Amino acid sequence: MSATKPHTSTEVVDVKGSSGSHSRIGEIASRLASKLSGSRQRHPVLHRLLLTVLVVCLGLVLTGLVSGVTNLDLATGVAMSVAILGLSFLTGFSGQVSLGNGAFFGVGAYVFAIWGNHQSSSIGEDLLVCTAAGAVAGLIVGLPATRLRGPYLAGMTIAVAIAFGSLIDEFSSWTNGDQGLNVQSPVTPPAWLASFIGEPTSSLRATFMWRADITIVVAGITFFLMANLFRSRKGRAMRLMRENEVAAELVGVSLPGARVSAFVVSAALAGLGGGLTTLVSTAVYGSTFTLGLSIEMLTLLVIGGIGTLSGSLIAGLLYAYSITWISSLVSGLGLTSSSNLGSQMNNIIFGAVLIITVLVAPLGIAGTTQFVISRRLARRRTERLDKAG
Amino acid sequence: MDAFLTSRNASDVLHGLVNGMVFGLVALGLVLIWRATRVLNFALGAMATAAAYLGLGLLSYGVGFWWCFLLCIPAGMAIGALTERFLVRPLYGKPEINPIVAMVGLLILIEAVVGSIWGTRQRSVIPPFSYVDWHLGSNPVALSPLAVFQIGCAVVMALAVGALFRFTNLGLQLRAAALAPEVSRLLGVRVSRMLTLGWALATGVAAVACVIVSSGFISGLTPSGMEGPFAAGFIAAAVGGLESPVGALVGGVSLGILEAFVTDYWSPNLVLPVSLLVLVVVLVVRPNGLFGHQRVRRV
Repeated sequence: MSATKPHTSTEVVDVKGSSGSHSRIGEIASRLASKLSGSRQRHPVLHRLLLTVLVVCLGLVLTGLVSGVTNLDLATGVAMSVAILGLSFLTGFSGQVSLGNGAFFGVGAYVFAIWGNHQSSSIGEDLLVCTAAGAVAGLIVGLPATRLRGPYLAGMTIAVAIAFGSLIDEFSSWTNGDQGLNVQSPVTPPAWLASFIGEPTSSLRATFMWRADITIVVAGITFFLMANLFRSRKGRAMRLMRENEVAAELVGVSLPGARVSAFVVSAALAGLGGGLTTLVSTAVYGSTFTLGLSIEMLTLLVIGGIGTLSGSLIAGLLYAYSITWISSLVSGLGLTSSSNLGSQMNNIIFGAVLIITVLVAPLGIAGTTQFVISRRLARRRTERLDKAG
Repeated sequence: MDAFLTSRNASDVLHGLVNGMVFGLVALGLVLIWRATRVLNFALGAMATAAAYLGLGLLSYGVGFWWCFLLCIPAGMAIGALTERFLVRPLYGKPEINPIVAMVGLLILIEAVVGSIWGTRQRSVIPPFSYVDWHLGSNPVALSPLAVFQIGCAVVMALAVGALFRFTNLGLQLRAAALAPEVSRLLGVRVSRMLTLGWALATGVAAVACVIVSSGFISGLTPSGMEGPFAAGFIAAAVGGLESPVGALVGGVSLGILEAFVTDYWSPNLVLPVSLLVLVVVLVVRPNGLFGHQRVRRV
């Protein structure tokens, strides 16, 4: 979401001075733009809130228009984007690379199913429990992280990701091991939401529509809170820590505190994303939460753009839709999905795109787009100044 | 004595030794790469697997086991050298996360390419050794000709690398290039060539580890088969300090034996969690590992 780049707005303000040569519409547009960006600088929180509400409302309208399957994809993608946003905060802001966030995601997913099968609480409460469970797991893993640097930490989180699978097996009386766990009690939407949809919730379309709606609203709240965290004192302190630890320590940032809290926030969001995913899919299988999932999350994040809100959203939607795109590519190439090449096409494409991204555009889709736009705006501005002077 | 050799604890140690040597070799590969280029190679297991597929794939064309085995080493070295030259070298001096992500990308890509060529089904590798344990009297000792072959391969490989670094001119250049690249360049060492060679050696060592893993009785060759040994190898290398080849080998063997005891007395599912706990405890007490040195961070 564009609220993350106020530095580009100052360039828009300057357009006002040279609007004489523009057409009337251009003049009105540039005046509007300058007003908007002025309000963005004066009331950043209000601006983010309005933007979030706008995007969430658009999303909700969209869920009413599309089919059940599309809603399922949409909900899956948005749920994943919440988890990836947490990883984005951890990696992009505090500079710690985690290859174990799939395990926190799994904690949230299992807690949603187990808690939901034992307690009759509302969906909101269930999701809060998932978030809290993720945060606790993040605290446990994050505490040693205060002593570990870059590659040590990344390696340790790999071991966490692999160990999670065997822990699922070990506690199979709770998790039901390989068999997987179904959400037994039928999850129903709150009455007001059901009446809002106005369709029997048993139909395929409505089933996934209300789930997508809840996911989008929860994701909207999360993205809004995280946008404020990104711009807050804490967020700035973490970015300083990533750039220069010693300088951060000298200006009074507690490094261990900042490291652990980044882990806790990231794991809490992963837990929430896992809970939302279980809400959508209504079943949990241990085979989902392998090292591969953690790696996929990091891959999607890098391709989407580390440290940006829009990058996480792009990454989540890529997660949901890439499966469809790649399977249509596989059939377009005349391969069957069970053949060796066809079954591996997904990872071949993701691996290659990831390597190319790191070598060519390490800022990812969102970061590179922001960079290109801000450079173009700056160039236009200097051209105008040249003409005027 | 006989009673001791056939006891439960002794057989745990012997079982652990085979896995431990594998972990030690993977850890040795990680340390070689880390010392030379300050990159933690997450794709090392996958690169070794690709080398093992290239070499052992010839088994199905009727080539003898020893030729296939020996071919794995140059195959691994070629993969390592190509990776350093074309993927890692453009990333030197970039933020720390870039090589980590690039290696993760390579891990995904190699596993997928290997799977798309040879399939993901397990391919059995049958070495010319019996897996039946020897007996002392009527009780089995947990040692078979196959286990001796596996341990022997690892020991020979570790000794060869040690001798190369300790006794040859090339080894001296390799060490110099890793420790003080600027000075060695002034003294006429082709530093970038040495870094490429370091990656090649490390991947060759890891390829041997992969052959040992896949020649076991139950385990065969699978594209993702090195993920577990890689995680354990990383833990061993980190416990040893990522700087010390001896630390890597000692760490690997100790970890293997510890895992055998955990499997036997507790549960195989708890092997990785327990290893992880060991890693955390060691690093909390000594952040640079048991054999590492305190590094100074500059502003």
